[in-house]
Amino acid sequence: MKINRRDFLKTTALTSMYFAGFGVPTFAKSSHKKNLVVIMLRGGMDGLCAVPIRGDKNFEKLRSKINLDRTLKLTADFDLHPALKTFKRLWDEDNGAIVHATNIPYTGRSHFDGQNLMETGGKIPYQVKTGWLGRGMKTAGLTGKGLALALPMPLLIRGVPMNNNYFPVGDRLPSNDTLKLINQAYKEHNEKMLGENLDTIMTRELRNTASDDSWVLASNAGQQLSKNNGPRVAVFEVDGFDTHAAQGATDGAHADCLSDYDRIVSGIKQAMSKESFDNTLIVTLTEFGRTIKQNSSNGTEHGYGSAVFLAGGLVKKAQIHTDWPGLKRKELFEGRDLNSTIDSRSIYASAMSTVFDVDFKKITKEVFWGENLQNLSDKLFKT
Amino acid sequence: MKNFFRKVSFGIGPNEQVPADPLKWALDQVNDVPELSWKGKIYSEKELRKHYRDYVYGDRKVLRIKYKDNKTLYKTHKNLLRHQTGQKFWESLEISIRHNECINSKHPVLAKLWMFWGNFFAISEKDYLANYSTGPYQREIIRPNLNQSFEKMVYDVTTSWAMIHHLDNSESAGPKSVTASDEWRRRKKEPATINENHARELLELHTVSPQAGYTQDDVIQLAYIMTGWQQRWSKKNLETGNVWFNSEYHQRGKKIVLGKEYKKGKKSLAVVIKDLVNHPNCRDFVADRLCRYLITDEPTKEMKQPIIDAFKKTDGHLPAIHKAAITVAFNYNKNYKKFQTPENWFIQIAKIADLEWPPSPENMASYELGTKPTRKQRLPEKILERLGHPPYRPKQPNGWSDYSDDWLSPELLIRRLVYADRSYAFTKPKNDNKEFYHKIISKNFDEPEKILDYVFKNMVHRKSERNVLLFNHPEFLKA
Repeated sequence: MKINRRDFLKTTALTSMYFAGFGVPTFAKSSHKKNLVVIMLRGGMDGLCAVPIRGDKNFEKLRSKINLDRTLKLTADFDLHPALKTFKRLWDEDNGAIVHATNIPYTGRSHFDGQNLMETGGKIPYQVKTGWLGRGMKTAGLTGKGLALALPMPLLIRGVPMNNNYFPVGDRLPSNDTLKLINQAYKEHNEKMLGENLDTIMTRELRNTASDDSWVLASNAGQQLSKNNGPRVAVFEVDGFDTHAAQGATDGAHADCLSDYDRIVSGIKQAMSKESFDNTLIVTLTEFGRTIKQNSSNGTEHGYGSAVFLAGGLVKKAQIHTDWPGLKRKELFEGRDLNSTIDSRSIYASAMSTVFDVDFKKITKEVFWGENLQNLSDKLFKT
Repeated sequence: MKNFFRKVSFGIGPNEQVPADPLKWALDQVNDVPELSWKGKIYSEKELRKHYRDYVYGDRKVLRIKYKDNKTLYKTHKNLLRHQTGQKFWESLEISIRHNECINSKHPVLAKLWMFWGNFFAISEKDYLANYSTGPYQREIIRPNLNQSFEKMVYDVTTSWAMIHHLDNSESAGPKSVTASDEWRRRKKEPATINENHARELLELHTVSPQAGYTQDDVIQLAYIMTGWQQRWSKKNLETGNVWFNSEYHQRGKKIVLGKEYKKGKKSLAVVIKDLVNHPNCRDFVADRLCRYLITDEPTKEMKQPIIDAFKKTDGHLPAIHKAAITVAFNYNKNYKKFQTPENWFIQIAKIADLEWPPSPENMASYELGTKPTRKQRLPEKILERLGHPPYRPKQPNGWSDYSDDWLSPELLIRRLVYADRSYAFTKPKNDNKEFYHKIISKNFDEPEKILDYVFKNMVHRKSERNVLLFNHPEFLKA
């Protein structure tokens, strides 16, 4: 089936009517702690490879070498990449959803500027030194509640003090007495950041001797997030989406990266209690999508619009939320990329509003400089 | 003041004199590019590329076909092939050569700048490049250019096998080129299209930076100029043939980049590079990156200006640029202390404490192709990976970050604590005494008594924890 933009707008309009009257944010009085997990997909995730449109002959022609020969069916209009098995199971349980034709409002096609902006949420690269998630946590008063499953502290989560990260060294630490001496020296030298990091190391309960396999990391994150006094936010990174050559299709480079994402979701879920997973939201973030057309190296170039995966018990229902721009040449961004019709920062602002129980307007004001973002909380999440 | 010796170098070794004129000492090291001081065998880029060839060919053309129905046998034979081609060894050998240059050569300042440019023109982790080719690329393309012009450096980098492979330029074919109308393209439905990857990074990372305000069209036009620069492909060598200009892939007609017109043909690449390196944004970008590496996360206009001026005055002569950067680092030394990246920090420990590091040339020479390298022979690669800073494996083409915040996290701090502790295992027996520590602390700290008290008056559980205290002291973490 070939869908056009108008059909989708119709669906959107109906949905909006259904929710008329629910516009005022109401905060769930759930006693259970709610968690937000963000998985960064670095390199430019190809939303059209992960969530391809069904039955568009033109699209299939443009991607003759990288079309998927096997897909998982989502809706009458969209399929899912077969590497996303866990996600599909969640979708079937109404715990998975997709926002399509979306991205941050950045069209420059540079990875590094793009990744900087996807993490800061800003519009001018390298201007902001904190991440939207870090600022959101600060607004919500979530000091010491962030956990990054990465060796460096991602920019995304910077901006609130006392974040932790976990990427075990596989070795034991020097004695606590020695650490205390070092901490003392940091304090005397006014090394605030170093001191904070060392405080975190000395007080946390994480095993430094474990391995840093992504499954181990995801399981640990799941366990930590399940604890009542544990972190409320976790951040993961998956590299390698920049497939200029040999992108592959059902198998191959892009498929492997999607599998990595799927494995993290699966690892988190299996380590969590049902109640905790019911109160968790896992969202993805990328710097841009990729060109609709394959290049002669059977890869794709840097593009614009992509897709965002939503998973976890706080997802409202299995759905593809989109204002589909179409894939005809004139409908593409600059004649080459899937357009972005939804500012993905609206999704992230809504996610933070829902999970952190903070008024949406407060989030847009304090995290996104009062930019005009759309409140999608009622549409996408269980509020 | 003594932090200057670590800021532009790796500190003063126990058997070295503290230079009376630190600035002159540093400036004198960047005029020439002497032979590498590694006493063991150094393999050429081409020799190592041959091993790379044997690996990709053996895997793709032999094992995958031979064992297509038996995954276990395929895995076993692939592992054998890895050892036959030295896949687990070369990276450690290259890191040893690199660290030896920082620790045991007479020009560690030049070595620190070599590290800078290697990262400026980074080859990121891709297709086993780190296992075979990135190290020799840094030795043969980056290092010999340290006393040449920036323009020549950019040209040599752009046409190097490693960079062409890394950024996919072999895959780029002009839509209006001879190959575009090849019959096989029609038959196989593979129209000729460009691959923008290399062109974009040539603008963004290697010359003018996005500050120059180029457009998508500029990227495309530069990619057109670059079409034809590719690896010479053959059935025998696959993608490991030398770089050449294949005029059949070159886009016909004129191209316009940043408002200037370029003719078709091989020579245009040199012309466009000349224009890009002479763009004001390029000078500013180079100055900014150098200041960030040596001095501070937030370079000021005043810091950058002398470097920009030297660039302009000498047409980008790298020794002049380096001297300007070193002088600025010297002038701002008192008020600006830069948090050292893990690799720099580790080399400083090895140099100052006279550790058994890197593994000796004799030890590395005992490696036999076809066998598994020993634990010791693999240590360089392993330790840097655990520190979070394997120099030949940045995740992306922009290389490793020079921003302090990117190196601060509980886990990264844990690595410093653990590896400062482990560094004690590399202590030479003759140095395992208080007098030795007294000597090295005196040579490298402005207030040695204070540091000595800190390291020796406090109780520690194990002797190795003295290294933890010394090398995680705030004054040592910054320079």
